[in-house]
Amino acid sequence: MTKWMNKTIGELHQLLVEGKVTASELVEDCIQGVLNDSCNSFEATCFEEARKEARKIKEVKEDEYLKGIPYLAKDNYSTKGVETTASSNILNGYVPLFDATVVRKLRQKGMIMVAHTSMDELAMGGTGTTGKRGVTTNPYDHERIVGGSSSGSAAALAQGIAPMSLGSDTGDSVRKPASHAGLVGFKPTWGRISRFGLFPFAPSLDTIAYFTRDVKDSAYLLSALAGHDNNDMSTSYRKKEKYERYVEEKKTLHRIGYFKAVVDAMQDEKIKAAFFDLLEKLRKAGYEVSEYDYPSDLLDALYPTYMIISCAEATSNNANLDGVRFGPAAKDNPQTYREYMKECRTKGFTDLIKRRFVIGSFSLLSANQDEMFSRAQKARRLIVNKMNEFFDSFDYFITPAAFSLPKKICDLSTAWSTNPDFLDNIMTIGNFGGYPSITLPMMKEDGIPVGVNVTGRVFEDGAVLALADEIQTLTGLKNLTAKEVK
Amino acid sequence: MEYEPVIGIEIHVELKTKSKMFSSGPCNFGESPNTQTVPFDLAFPGTMPVVNREAVNFGIKVCSALHMNIARTLYFDRKNYFYPDLPKGYQITQQFHPIGTKGYVEIVSEGEKIRVGVDNAHLEEDTAKQIHLSNISLLNFNRCGTPLIEIVSDPDMRSGDQAMKYVEAIREIVTYLGVSDGKMENGSLRCDINISLRKKGETKFGTKAECKNLNTIQNIKAAVDYEIKRQTEILESGGKVEQETRRYDEALKKTVLMRKKTDAVDYKYFREPNIVPIDLAEDFIQDAIMSMNKLPNQYREELKAIGLGEYEIGELLKDQKFTLYYTECLSLGAKNPTLLWNYLMVDILGYLNKKEIALTDLKFTKEQFVAFINLLAENKINSKQGKEVLLKMLEEGKDPLTVVKEEGFEQISDESYLQSLVDEVLASNNQVVEDWKRGKDHALGYLVGQVMKKSKGKANPARSKEMILAIIGPCGK
Repeated sequence: MTKWMNKTIGELHQLLVEGKVTASELVEDCIQGVLNDSCNSFEATCFEEARKEARKIKEVKEDEYLKGIPYLAKDNYSTKGVETTASSNILNGYVPLFDATVVRKLRQKGMIMVAHTSMDELAMGGTGTTGKRGVTTNPYDHERIVGGSSSGSAAALAQGIAPMSLGSDTGDSVRKPASHAGLVGFKPTWGRISRFGLFPFAPSLDTIAYFTRDVKDSAYLLSALAGHDNNDMSTSYRKKEKYERYVEEKKTLHRIGYFKAVVDAMQDEKIKAAFFDLLEKLRKAGYEVSEYDYPSDLLDALYPTYMIISCAEATSNNANLDGVRFGPAAKDNPQTYREYMKECRTKGFTDLIKRRFVIGSFSLLSANQDEMFSRAQKARRLIVNKMNEFFDSFDYFITPAAFSLPKKICDLSTAWSTNPDFLDNIMTIGNFGGYPSITLPMMKEDGIPVGVNVTGRVFEDGAVLALADEIQTLTGLKNLTAKEVK
Repeated sequence: MEYEPVIGIEIHVELKTKSKMFSSGPCNFGESPNTQTVPFDLAFPGTMPVVNREAVNFGIKVCSALHMNIARTLYFDRKNYFYPDLPKGYQITQQFHPIGTKGYVEIVSEGEKIRVGVDNAHLEEDTAKQIHLSNISLLNFNRCGTPLIEIVSDPDMRSGDQAMKYVEAIREIVTYLGVSDGKMENGSLRCDINISLRKKGETKFGTKAECKNLNTIQNIKAAVDYEIKRQTEILESGGKVEQETRRYDEALKKTVLMRKKTDAVDYKYFREPNIVPIDLAEDFIQDAIMSMNKLPNQYREELKAIGLGEYEIGELLKDQKFTLYYTECLSLGAKNPTLLWNYLMVDILGYLNKKEIALTDLKFTKEQFVAFINLLAENKINSKQGKEVLLKMLEEGKDPLTVVKEEGFEQISDESYLQSLVDEVLASNNQVVEDWKRGKDHALGYLVGQVMKKSKGKANPARSKEMILAIIGPCGK
């Protein structure tokens, strides 16, 4: 399909440096990929702007790793001049006046945005089926979901349409689809990268995250994106590092732990076997790998805690979407602000979003706050405290990133899950604690990839990337794309 | 039945920082609508709050002036509600951990010194302005995000006068600190007053009414007094005061119902997740406190000590610029505080008001004004001449000493010359001296007048009078 875009950033960079390809050729190749997308991966395109940017690039030097490389951004990154709707009807026609900090930084590094990718509406969802343009499918099997909420970014990369795409990760919105699509999905430490310009879902959990098909590419990207931003008070003043050095110099730490409760609960024997096989390989490579008994009541608390905190924050963050200053205006001749706002929000949000707002609002009401929101905050603290205890004796937490193949679209239900499986929410730990966490391919089952996830201590992003690179070498699963589409 | 009014006041003070509470949007008053905004002020998706350092500095000053405990870590919270003037759908405020807690203000009401407790002061952001026309409402976001400090009193006040004095004290403090314009008329200082009555001796609070739209200090007293009367009448006729929000109608001189408080809004407060707790460095707090301007009560003590009366002090302190001008003149060596007050607060103030100009527009320096005051204080010119000198200073910016010379105003205090004039006058006015001795006391004035006349108005009248008395003795009976 594409000629160049199925390569890694590192490979393309080498070709650019050697003059074997131009930025314009790469952008054209990416555009062709976007036009031939078979998964419903896109919301908006910016082809002309991309072509213009590419024409400006005459040469690429050895130390300009990202220059001239096309990329895609999830539709919740504010991009000046490009319609940005977070795949929600309530933002139809909204063209931002400013760039998100990461968009600005990537532009400064010479990366070229080609399109915005589809997502679950307002980043709330894990299936990639709730965006306003419909279902985004998995390129490995179109009958299956690719996962969400960063669905288009994952589907596009797995199709080899670009070597990198921005996503955002509030629960596992990059790391889960990375598993389903055979990609590297990295969520750095909360506060390491500015969120300015990312449409908020739940700011205390939201993290800039992205997909690549090679761990080293992810390390280079973090070096480009990390750092304090005067527009985001939650960004750390901690010194930036050269994260690629951790990968190149194999600066890994040594103690790896997995949860007993997780392996006990695993149903899929093939995934289990692959996971244990990987652990064995790590032991052979010299790592100390052992089991940890993380309390199961805290694991069971993951889902309700996540739902309450994320919905509560979401209902507040999205209260700005009232149709007054941006987004489609009310048409039914409203007489009061309340009527106006009600009409816009009734038409603009799907029922799934409204359900989350109701849960969030309900849990914040003063009559319920102690029992729900405050309790969820307490649970979050307990989960994180226990996790920090874990990190006293381990350097890494490792787990399969998915415990079954991605769901078939026809099996999806929007019904409220009454008996949630903690395994499906295991990666929310990364968001609760703000830990750096990365998913990368572990195996393929029936030709469909399943990922493994590694989480480390806050601000030890380099060590996490280094171990991920080691795992990438051990599995040999690097730069996967869905070649034969079912 | 005797009732005791219980009054608590919430005051929103707009801080005059360069930029907004959480954005780089400029804080300018009176600009064209919707020109003083940045994307955050309109709540565009993805924008984030950044706490304004200057606003925190101002907040610390206010808290220090109100004798409050100053928070060492700042936290912010969201107050969630839908309203057209609130673009984010929530206001960022300090619900759970205000920057200042537990302070007080000292006021004097009807001769009594009272300490009014201040429960807390918290930083927050202002809303947009709504303009309601006949069939359409307009929004102006210029004000949206302007820093506010809300000062919440304890329910310690018992009368309209106390309420008025309290607001006046807060207004003085924030304007003297230079953190706010404190103008009630254009909304940079806004009060919500809670008033309830209870039977004397009871400790439980009665049902309160909240009163808004008070745009002058005087209206506060009027509104509270009216409200006390209204609630007393309701209670005395066996009725019940309802919890409601009322506004003061200046034309009707009464409070009128705005809305009943049926179900209070649930603001669903929670911690603002985009602002991590901010530890305030001790240096930062101390710098703010050390750089505070002198406060009205400090001036009050000092001015009392130099002998200025209660009324004079009150008038002077109403405007910080005059207070500063006055005290600077004192430190430049002005010799008579009362004379200084009179010429500044009567003559100069009157002139400025008439010409509609400001103190800074005066054509002479403070040093020249002090020289002028001292000419009077040392009796070198008399008050009639003083008026003429001052007029020339005001109109032409002339130096007072130059005017005195040019006009030949210098008073004569030369003893031997004065003595010769006195002798001359007495010699040629035997009859008048006789009248004096027979008890006609107006004779003395006539004699002094004659001396003045002979000296062409330059003789020092007080000294001349002394000299005459020394010769003619006391008035006879």
